[in-house]
Formats: sequence, C-alpha cells, structure tokens
Amino acid sequence: MNLTFSPEELAFRAEVREFITTHLPDDIRRKMQAGDHLEKDDYYRWQRLLFERGWIAPNWPAKYGGTGWDPIRRHIFSEELSYGWAPRLLPFGLSMVAPVIINFGNDEQRARFLPRILSAEDFWCQGYSEPGSGSDLASLSTKAERKGDVYVINGTKTWITAAQWADWIFVLARTSPVEKKRQEGISFILVDMRTPGVSVRPITTIDGGQEINEVNLDNVEVPVANRVGEEGGGWTYAKFLLEHERTGTAGIAACRQMVTQLRELRDREGIADRRFDERLAEIDIELTAVAFTEMRVLAAESAGTRPGPESSILKLKGTEIQQALTELALDAGGPYSDVALARNYFNFRKATIYAGSNEIQKNIIAKQILKV
Amino acid sequence: MDFTLTPEQVLLRDGVARFATNGSSNGARRDHWKQFTELGWLGIGAPEDAGGFGGATETLLLMEQLGRGLVVSPFVSHVVLAGAVLHAANRRDLIEDVVEGRRRFAVAYEERGVRYDPASVEVRAERDAGAWKLSGTKVRVLDASTADTLIVSAITADGIALFLVPASSANLTRTPYPGEDGHDVATLQFDGVTLGEDAVIAPPGNALDALEAGVDAATAALCAEALGLCTVMLETTVEYLKVRQQFGVPLSSFQALQHRMAEMYIELELMRSMAYHAAMTVESQPDAVARKRAISAAKAQVAKSGRFIGQQAIQLHGAIGMSEEYKIGHYFKRMTFVERLFGDRDYHVRRYLAC
Repeated sequence: MNLTFSPEELAFRAEVREFITTHLPDDIRRKMQAGDHLEKDDYYRWQRLLFERGWIAPNWPAKYGGTGWDPIRRHIFSEELSYGWAPRLLPFGLSMVAPVIINFGNDEQRARFLPRILSAEDFWCQGYSEPGSGSDLASLSTKAERKGDVYVINGTKTWITAAQWADWIFVLARTSPVEKKRQEGISFILVDMRTPGVSVRPITTIDGGQEINEVNLDNVEVPVANRVGEEGGGWTYAKFLLEHERTGTAGIAACRQMVTQLRELRDREGIADRRFDERLAEIDIELTAVAFTEMRVLAAESAGTRPGPESSILKLKGTEIQQALTELALDAGGPYSDVALARNYFNFRKATIYAGSNEIQKNIIAKQILKV
Repeated sequence: MDFTLTPEQVLLRDGVARFATNGSSNGARRDHWKQFTELGWLGIGAPEDAGGFGGATETLLLMEQLGRGLVVSPFVSHVVLAGAVLHAANRRDLIEDVVEGRRRFAVAYEERGVRYDPASVEVRAERDAGAWKLSGTKVRVLDASTADTLIVSAITADGIALFLVPASSANLTRTPYPGEDGHDVATLQFDGVTLGEDAVIAPPGNALDALEAGVDAATAALCAEALGLCTVMLETTVEYLKVRQQFGVPLSSFQALQHRMAEMYIELELMRSMAYHAAMTVESQPDAVARKRAISAAKAQVAKSGRFIGQQAIQLHGAIGMSEEYKIGHYFKRMTFVERLFGDRDYHVRRYLAC
C-alpha cells in the first residue's frame, strides 16, 4: 500500500500549476476568488486556452483528442484547476454527452460533435429533468414521435444549467409508450437549440442567480441520425452518464480552497471563537476522510474498475461538506454583513439536490451495495 | 498511489482472520500470547535486524482482523505502543525481547484529571544518592497485569523522562480491574519506588517525543481495530434486517431503515479511509507535527463514525440488540472504549487544531 504521488505525478502537478498561473486571465481569476458568477465568454476564453494546450478533455481517450491521462493525473489536473482559481470545465459537453457519444454513438456522430466540443465552439446542456419527473427520472413524458427521417419532439425539460448559453441539448425522450418497464422505450437524442420550436425561459434561483432554465420543445423536428445508440436504449446511456457525473461532484479541492478562505476570513474579521475553530476543524477532518476515499476510488479506477455505486459516497459527503462550509461562512459574517457569503450559502443548497438527490444516493447504496 | 497488498500481506491477513474467527467468543478476553509469539506476530513493526518484519500496514491488517473477531488482546499495548516507544528511545535490545516474547511491556502515562494528554505528568522522579524514587499515580494502564515490565513517564527536575520499572517492584501497587469490554486495565500507585540510574530509557528532551510517537502508533492500530468491529456491526445489521420480519415484510424493505444502513456504510468507508491514512502516516511521515495532525484527524473521524455505526447497530436490531446473549452488543461495547482510548473525538479535534 502506498498513498503517495510518484515523482512523475508531482512533476505533472507542477507543470499544470505553472500553466494555470501563467495563462489564466487575471479578470477571471479575480471573479473566481470573489465568488462572482462567470459569463459564457469567461468559460469560452479559458476553455480555448486549454484546448490550445491540448488539455481540454482529460477523460477522453487520446484518439478522440483527449489527454489520455490516467485517473490519478485527471484528479491532479482537476485539483490544480481549483487551487489556481480557474473555472471548472463545463461538464455538459466534455464529461457528460461526449463519453456517451464516444461509447454508444456512431463514427459519423463522433466526427461531427466531438471536435466542436473540444474547441468550445459548441456549448451543451442536459435535458433530463421535467416538471413532473425529478428523482423519478424514468417517469419522464417528453415524447419523440418518429415521422420518416425525423423525430418530432414535444415536452418540457427543466432545471437546465447553462441552457441560455447552449448550442445543443441532449434529451431523454420517450420513443415508445410504456409497456412493461418504464425504463424501456426511452431514447437519447441530440437537439440543436436553434431548431424551430425550442424555447428557453430563465429561472431565477433563491440566491438571485440565473444559472438554470426551462426548455420547451414544441413540435421540434430532429433528424433520426441525431439519436445516440439504439432506439429505446436511452436509459442505459443515461445511467452511464450519471455515474460519471457523480464522481465529478465531490469538489474536494474546491472545499479545501473554501477552508483556506474561511481561515483568512477568521483572521481578517478577528473572530476569536473556539466553536468556530472547532467546527472548521471538524469539517476539515471529514474533508480529509472524503479525500482519501476519493483516492481509493481513483486507485480502483486506475486498476481498471469503472466508477460504480461507491461514487455515491463522494457525491453525498462532498456536497454535505460544501454546504457545511458555506453555512459556517455565513455564520462567520453574520446576517446582512456580506452579500457574497449569503448568496453562496443559498446557492449551495442545490448541491444535495442535483445529480441525483442525496436521498436517491442512499437508495443506490442500499440497493446496489448493501443489496437490500 | 496503490492500495493493493503484497502476497505476504495477504497471507498475514488471512492467517489472522482464521485465528480470530476460531478463537473468540462473545468478547471474553483470552490471552493468546503464546500463539501470537509462535506465529511471529510480535515482530510486526520491529526492525528486521531485531527479528521483526513489516510496519504499520501489517499492524493494520492484523488489528482489522482482530477487530472482526472481537479478539481483545494486549497486542496494542505490549507490541505497538511499547515497541514504538522503545524504537524511538533506541533500545534495540529491549525490542528483541518484545519480538521474542521474552518480556511484556505496559506503558503507564495517563494520570487523573488530565485526560489523554501525555505531556501532563505529575508522577515525580527524584534523585537520591545515585538512585531514582518514583511517587504518584498512573491510571488506565492497559494490560498491566500481564506485563512484567512497565514503561512509566515521570517528571524530573529537567523535564519528563521515561523509566523502566519492574512490575514486581517494592512500593508499587497494581490494582487491576476488567474493563466493561473485557480489557485488562489497572491503576498503578508508586510510593517511592526505587530504581537504578540505568532505569531511564528516554531522558528529558527525548522522552515526550518517544511517548507521543508510541501513542500515535497505538492510536493508528486502534483505528484499524475499529474498522474490523464496525465492518461486522454493519454486516450483522444488514443481514438481520433482511431476515427479521415485521408487518409481514422484512425490516430491510423500509426506506427509513435502508437510509440508516446507507449512512452506516458511508461512515464505515470514511473510517476505512482514515484507518489507512493513519497507518500510512505512522509508516512514512517523518515530521512529528504532521504526524500528530494526521493521527488526530484519523482518530476524530473513527470516533465519530464508530459511535454512529455502533449506536445505530443496536437501534436497528431493536430489543435483541440489548441482549447480553447476542453478539452485537459486545462489538458495540468494545467500539465504545476504542472510541475513547488514547483520546476521544473532542481531545483529537483540539489536538488537530493545536498542531
């Protein structure tokens, strides 16, 4: 057993750090440090820089333009993005739809979509949830009716992050009515946001943010060639995607940044409160435990095991810690004292809801690991 | 980054597992020392030229299996704690005694009113005509009844030193009593115990560091024992709830209970990560401050997770969990003391902050 990084891995970390220090535009770094919302152009500029460096797709195979890094290097890269105050890579194209296209799409789809995701020419968003289908995703009612060479899609998708910026949306839609299992008859379809009948309505969140949207699909005609994989096989691809999504949401390095900021806040505000220090220490300790758990998942992945139900632990504990930190920050400031801290606290309530609520994660652990 | 075990480590783990599942019953203490010696386990963590092998990873593997089998043994006190103190004090000759099973050492450092902190010492050692005289009281000394030699911390005119004290010394009163989990514990009363000049095995300046290194190694070992205990508590609870029928269905079909078990599983995995972290720290962290910080983080997490798993294991079993005849309560009791031995959660959170 050896839990340390190799000299090559440490050299890689230094190389990534150096690149971020010298290339990340100052205005973006300042926004990140202040916790301000980023604009599309901020993400675009940063993703272009990484694209030009060849580092835009850490989890893609090299033959499609990915870095070909092993899980440990991907982890180091993602940590360094956080430590260097760089924006996260928007996941919807790079780490959600692309792995599905790579694994289940055809050559034509790979050639058409992957290069434009890499180059940040296309921004993507995720059409999963519906007004009537949240945790119970299989109950979705968006329909895609086949008429010759097109699907005609009707339905409403909601809570969609970055839809206002997106060029494309990947949609789960029912291509045949429910017969036996609700999970059957769902297809995974790629929709150009400029298609007639697609409309986007912004939803303002309780922190005042404009991150999420409702997307209406009103008789939207999409070529059948835009379906990924088998007709009716969408649920399998959707689950594959969700497991990838969950490993990415522990956000451990970002939490470490928040711990550092909280220590600075304490010193700056002169908070001489032992309870504050102890609460912060307790969160920091749990963060260490989650970080080592992530190492174990990574080591298993390196050995060739694909992320399984264990990634539920990372999503669950990672988001709980994020919330505990924003809560402590709000307590440190006190009411009506710091707009950014309050906004952050309100915003992070989303973390235990998205990517499969934490209650759903517990269902997954109970069923798939404990086999009850 | 590699969590795989060597073939030798797998052999060790499986060997201990066989011993632990055959040897124990309901947590009643058994002294298997002869077998420990014969199987070579007393050499774990000792230098190779002193007849030892392996390190903290091997200790982890052994302790996890002893935890699974609810084997309450003096291994942590006689081998891990004493061995690490002797190692830090550079007493190769005495380590060989440990490895060969010739001598059994118990470490006496805790005192009344100063829970857990090895730096708070009121037992006095005074020089008197070429000899030392020890006076005062040590509490919660683990496995003192089966030890022939005690390693005792005492304050001298120049600071804390460690003394080697024969257990049969005159003016030394050992008052052993069984802990609620069956562990052998004792209070030691020193009323002017006379020792020679050579009784000092770690002088002021070195003694506290040696003691703290030992306690940290022992704490890491306990984290591994906790892992074994809690693994069994979760497995047993899940199995029981699948079988136990109420309202015409298995208890495990209720979502409130499923979520509770999922939470126990999460705590178990966090605990496993920290037990590994603690072992790796003991094995390869040369910096004392970083070591203390990591060990305290590990113990604080293990204490929290272990308490949750234990309490929920009893709760989910229902009344049968309260029964002395059923095994879950015995695991819970052992975990309850493991949670507090060498420092509870509050102590370790404060120590973590202070590092």
